[in-house]
Amino acid sequence: MKLDKELYLLLKSAFADFRRDKIRTGLTSLGIMIGVFSVVILIALGLGLKNYIQQQFESLGANLVMILPGSGFSGGNGPAGLAGGAEFDEKDVTNLRKLPNIKYIVPVYVRSASVSSADTQKKVTIMGGNEDIFPLINIKAESGELWTKSDVDKKAKVAVLGNTIAGDLYGKPDNALGKTIRIEGLRLKVIGVAKKIGNQERDGAAFIPYTTTFGSLNPKKTFFAIYLGIADQNVVNSVKADVQKTLVKRYDKDRFSVTEQSEILSSINQIFAIINLVLIAIGSISLIVGGIGIMNIMYATVTERTREVGIRRALGATTRDILLQFLTESTVLSLFGGIVGLMVASLVVAIVRNWFPVAINLFAVVLAIGVSSGIGIFFGVFPAKKAADLSPMEAIRYE
Amino acid sequence: MKTTSSIISLKKVYKEYLLGDGSIFTALKDINLDIYEGEFSAIIGSSGSGKSTLMHMIGLLDKPTRGEIIVNGEDVAKLNDNQTSVLRNSYVGFVFQQFNLLNKLTIKENILLPAIYSKIKLDFDPDQRADMLMEKFGIISKKDSFPNRISGGQQQRVAVARALIMKPQLILADEPTGNLDHKTGNEIIDLFEQLNITERITIVMVTHEMEIAQRTGRRIKVLDGEIISDKK
Repeated sequence: MKLDKELYLLLKSAFADFRRDKIRTGLTSLGIMIGVFSVVILIALGLGLKNYIQQQFESLGANLVMILPGSGFSGGNGPAGLAGGAEFDEKDVTNLRKLPNIKYIVPVYVRSASVSSADTQKKVTIMGGNEDIFPLINIKAESGELWTKSDVDKKAKVAVLGNTIAGDLYGKPDNALGKTIRIEGLRLKVIGVAKKIGNQERDGAAFIPYTTTFGSLNPKKTFFAIYLGIADQNVVNSVKADVQKTLVKRYDKDRFSVTEQSEILSSINQIFAIINLVLIAIGSISLIVGGIGIMNIMYATVTERTREVGIRRALGATTRDILLQFLTESTVLSLFGGIVGLMVASLVVAIVRNWFPVAINLFAVVLAIGVSSGIGIFFGVFPAKKAADLSPMEAIRYE
Repeated sequence: MKTTSSIISLKKVYKEYLLGDGSIFTALKDINLDIYEGEFSAIIGSSGSGKSTLMHMIGLLDKPTRGEIIVNGEDVAKLNDNQTSVLRNSYVGFVFQQFNLLNKLTIKENILLPAIYSKIKLDFDPDQRADMLMEKFGIISKKDSFPNRISGGQQQRVAVARALIMKPQLILADEPTGNLDHKTGNEIIDLFEQLNITERITIVMVTHEMEIAQRTGRRIKVLDGEIISDKK
């Protein structure tokens, strides 16, 4: 009861002081507010990027094994790992077809090129593959149809356009149907437009039979990658081992890699975790600056309120009571900034979410509240100690 | 007035300060003084005489360089800072010239402040006692007001109520009328007299006004850090 009363009066005194000088209180809290805001926003952005990448990978389809040149993405070198790798060809596809447990084998030819309609020109990602590319990476027709095995066999000059590029070229995606596009001199008839899947690369791609690329686009008849669709998650590892055995007969084992989507995801996640830590560290600098601001103000407050300290000491307050009083004030000041910072950050995140999957998690909230109270206590201790150490007799005579 | 036992006893108390030039300034010199229960005494002296330093010693706000200050049979000069605070809280109530109320707390909260800082179990309900004191001093209607909204005389009554909340053995008043007009000042002294006579509350008052000092039962005159006369 008494402790409650003491805490009540401590908080009441603290708020009375804050109210008396609203501008100073606001400015002091602003430092912490900006600090917490930037840390929370950076965490939200980090999470957003992670979510975004995850979504992109999920859209690729499940049980996907990729055969990539070089060390692929998993060597920790990013795209540089692809350099100097094997160039796959149809012989590899034929060899792989002999292996068990593989549902889809898709030779993948990827490169960017210019695509033109009758009156406009755009950048496009050419994705050459066989008919299995559609179920493997979850591409479905929104209008028209997807090309089939017979189109692949006939080297048919047909294309399925991603939803975005179809819209970019013809105003409305559906308008693309039946039109003829040109990719570096190759004339292709648009027979289908894919449903939007939210993956920028896929929505901006032109899917064509890989055999159709064997000409002006791809005279060497090679593939960038081979994608495998595995029938059952449990056999992924044995399929990977079989693939390894098959390919090593033709290529040095350093020149290709067999990677599962989840492996790539985890290595990307590792990179993001590091980037996130660096971002938080940068954001924390503003928190420290905010803390120093609080310390500065608290020192000034102690000087201004020396007489009050003297009165309280004369009435029987111990050094601990005075320490507690000033610590409560610095913590409330800092926590106030922290909560406002968190609220503003949440608002910004709620708005940005419409375009990008940013998120605030419990960690960010606990961090914001914990760190701002921690800063209040840490940076408040020195001024509070100064107040507590004042001699009651000298303090009460202070003018 | 006949006294009973001593509630504070200063024995051979010296207070010395080391000055910037290396010399020593003696603020109190060989002070031997007993304050008895039920006394109403005045410490008088001119500015710089050492009367405030003496009051700080009696009020346990300062410690002597040498000598003993005995309260309840114990030398308080040997207590640490926290022990002194705890003792000060229950043993002495202060009334200051500047009133020294906290403007951000209400009248009642100001009066309750010593009880909030108390580290011992109280044998009374501070809330009820605060109400009783405010009633008695005619400030009950102001209990939720803030100190800067009431008159100087009322503020000093609040200060007296605050000084009494812990049922202290001693009230120490430092120039309690210094900031009040003549009439209001007299009213405060009337209040002290009344508390002293009817409730046998021990009061030590520091003043430089002889007229006020004459109304007390004992006048301790200080000059250059020494007690030069002590008249009852």
